[in-house]
Amino acid sequence: MSAILERALEAANAEADASYISVDQNITRFANSQIIQNMSEESAWLTLRVIVDGAMGVATTTVFDDEEIARTADLAREAAQHSNPIQGFKGLYRDNEPVPRVESFDARTAAVAPLEKARALRDMFDRATQLQFAGSYSTGSATVECGNTHGVRRSAQMTHADATVIAIGGSGSGYATARERSCDGVAIAALGEEAALKATLASDRLEDLEPGAYDVILEPPALAEVFDWMNMIAFTGQSFEDGSSFFVGNLGKRVLAENFTLVDDAIEYMPFPFDIEGLPKRRVALIENGVIRTPVLDQAWADRLGLAPTANAWHLGAPDHGAAFHLVMAGGDSTREEMIRSTKLGIWVTRFNYVNGLLEPKSALMTGTTRDGTFLVRDGEVVARLPNLRWTQSMVEAFSNIDAISRERRSVGTWYNMFGGTLAPVVKIRGWNITGKQEQSA
Amino acid sequence: MKPERAQLEDVLRSLAPAARYADIRHTATHQQHVKVRNGEVDHLSSTVDRAIGVRVLVGNGWGFAASSDVSEESLRRTAARALEVAAASNVASTQPVTLSDIEPHVAKWESAYRIDPWSISIGQKIEHLMNATEPMRGDARIHQVSGEISCYRQEKTFASTAGSFLEQTTTQMGGGIEAVAIDGDEFQRRTYPNPFGGDFQAEGWEFIERLDMPRKALEVRDEALALLAAPKAPAGRFDLIVGSAQLALQVHESCGHPTELDRAMGLEISLAGGSFLQPAMLGTFRYGSDLVNIVADATIAGSIGSFAFDDDGVPAQRFHLIENGMFVDYLTGRDTAPFIGRASNGTVRAESAARIPIIRMTNINLEPGDTPLADIIASTKRGIFVETNKSWSIDDLRLNFQFGCEVAYEIENGRLGRMLRNPLYTGNTPDFWRSCDAIGDRASWQVWGLPNCGKGDPMQTMRVAHGAPAARFRNVEMG
Repeated sequence: MSAILERALEAANAEADASYISVDQNITRFANSQIIQNMSEESAWLTLRVIVDGAMGVATTTVFDDEEIARTADLAREAAQHSNPIQGFKGLYRDNEPVPRVESFDARTAAVAPLEKARALRDMFDRATQLQFAGSYSTGSATVECGNTHGVRRSAQMTHADATVIAIGGSGSGYATARERSCDGVAIAALGEEAALKATLASDRLEDLEPGAYDVILEPPALAEVFDWMNMIAFTGQSFEDGSSFFVGNLGKRVLAENFTLVDDAIEYMPFPFDIEGLPKRRVALIENGVIRTPVLDQAWADRLGLAPTANAWHLGAPDHGAAFHLVMAGGDSTREEMIRSTKLGIWVTRFNYVNGLLEPKSALMTGTTRDGTFLVRDGEVVARLPNLRWTQSMVEAFSNIDAISRERRSVGTWYNMFGGTLAPVVKIRGWNITGKQEQSA
Repeated sequence: MKPERAQLEDVLRSLAPAARYADIRHTATHQQHVKVRNGEVDHLSSTVDRAIGVRVLVGNGWGFAASSDVSEESLRRTAARALEVAAASNVASTQPVTLSDIEPHVAKWESAYRIDPWSISIGQKIEHLMNATEPMRGDARIHQVSGEISCYRQEKTFASTAGSFLEQTTTQMGGGIEAVAIDGDEFQRRTYPNPFGGDFQAEGWEFIERLDMPRKALEVRDEALALLAAPKAPAGRFDLIVGSAQLALQVHESCGHPTELDRAMGLEISLAGGSFLQPAMLGTFRYGSDLVNIVADATIAGSIGSFAFDDDGVPAQRFHLIENGMFVDYLTGRDTAPFIGRASNGTVRAESAARIPIIRMTNINLEPGDTPLADIIASTKRGIFVETNKSWSIDDLRLNFQFGCEVAYEIENGRLGRMLRNPLYTGNTPDFWRSCDAIGDRASWQVWGLPNCGKGDPMQTMRVAHGAPAARFRNVEMG
């Protein structure tokens, strides 16, 4: 445990918790089959939360000398003194239960040199010179420490390897992505081949599609983007409290399809042992066989809402009051190929672009477009490429209409989440509303 | 704590033998955020973030390294790391990197404010927000009222091997209120002056005073309640009048982003996407009607998209992107402008010194026309007026868009009629702008600060702004 955390808790001079996170992240971006940006960052920040009479204040700094830590404590204390007590808040975490033993760190991934990544990318570029590759390849490590004035102390290291590859051909593009704790699970060459296959599939057969309701086969990156938005508008403690989530009034009720189960699981997926308040991570079912179980919560909002804690605080004092950073959708018994074969008329979607979930949050009505591989399926076969399509769809309705779920699942990273990601299968959904398409004007 | 000029120049000299170009930035970013909700302080936080960043060009490979440790030892270590990264990039970068010419500048710049945001106590800020939100409570259907105030200051130092040494400080404030009304399954949100934290300007507390949120509280509450009972906005084709705040976001998404040259060159395609505006279309492509003039102007006093020099060290500029409806220029930086045979127009910025500078919007403004908004409404036989953004989505080339707004009103025979809820409109960017047949005059023109434009990997949120009047668009698809 670093002395920085201890000094911060001492400076608080009140009930307090603190987190100290140091990261070493290395991101190589490429486009037009060239490395275009290459960065290495070593950063650390301390967040201190002080509780005064049940009210909390938060301050963050990136400077760790005694004077700055004292100033940070003063700011947090001043903020707490001006805040109101949180209704029902029973104080910071005290139980100090043991955390699960999980493997969250891979030494080789933490030490990948920029040159090794550059060579892997160069090989991919050189293998398919008829295509242009774009994307990013990120590796990094972090040390996460947290603790509080009740004696809780946690520390863990984690690593990640994350790559996205777009292959661009003459008449379309393809996409592949992976995110794992170890770089051994992220094979650049294989991702390049997968993206290239999508970019060249049905490249000589282009068709159009009128707006309407269609069966869709959604790949994991498409589902992950929808789940990112559901995380914001439906799963958080704040969205539950403010009434905007469709979970409100539905706890314990079957609202979605019986074959739909979604959990937050940092034990099995992108493992990490505790949340930033020090609670041990556990498997938390958000939706179980279509039944709404619980929003994800920080300690204060669990107390306030009278719900069981779920260990989902990822930034002290964050206004979302809980977020699911290790989303895992249960797999089924199908395959993507079986879904295609069983489809009379439908759309196979690789990925979504610019989804927005703020249209009508109570029904999780969202809109977005497809990109990097949208295909027409007719009579059980992929018959043509389609333009990028706009859709406008209630997710409450969509996840009530799941026809098939694949056994295989893929891990997809998210830009806002350094701790985990989303593990999702391929799904087939009935009656997805297509409302427009991408058209170039003369 | 801030590195001295001599230190920075010494490190730059050490990089010079290996690097074609190098620059160093230091930033200290101070933020304070106060939010009240339903009579309680919901969130109160202070953040100080310090960072150094070193950018190096070796051969045709860019390298960048950053650290939150701003000590001299860390600076030298970070510079060495940037060199190592640049050398690795050079292995997989065969296309030549050309930088447009630049004059060295030594300058100091600060945005102006009258009342320092940090001179107002937290208690005063809370009191102001309580005064603006408590009057909205009382009706059982008002489920939530909230208000927030944000303070932002970034001090930035830049030194480069081109001989520039620049010190810039911007001070900004933002604020807004909202009321959420729920009746059964109907959920409505109304905000002032804008959602997502309100409006933001490069000013001090005087901006919060000018917003006068307490005066608008009851109007916001009443509109949220009225929306619960309002009929749903219809589907079909209508003449659409878009209010200033919503049109500002339309400009952002459908003109600002597609005129970023890095997007057009495919450099951002993996995450943010590309652009339908390709270099071959410069000067020949009709983007909008003759009335449409869109300028990039980083020199507007008091706007959060303004600065004196970008993060390449290029002076802030004002230039047309769209002139009389024609596409005439991109937003560019030193390493992209040569691709279209031009010099940088100074739009490269990073969120902090810990991030790589990339092309970002400045203040991207739809210039005002000469028609009063009242006359635009009066000359509309059958249409819809929409205002204040609720949702936004646009495809990866910035062609097909869909926007949702907080509120709409029917227009029948030149008069505003019933309030409508949940309006959505959709279209194709050039078709939409070509259908523009009336642009409001300066009375309806306002600069809106947008502090959360996302781009890059890792994601950088940039503070940009858009001036926009109200304007009318013919035969737009709704629903």
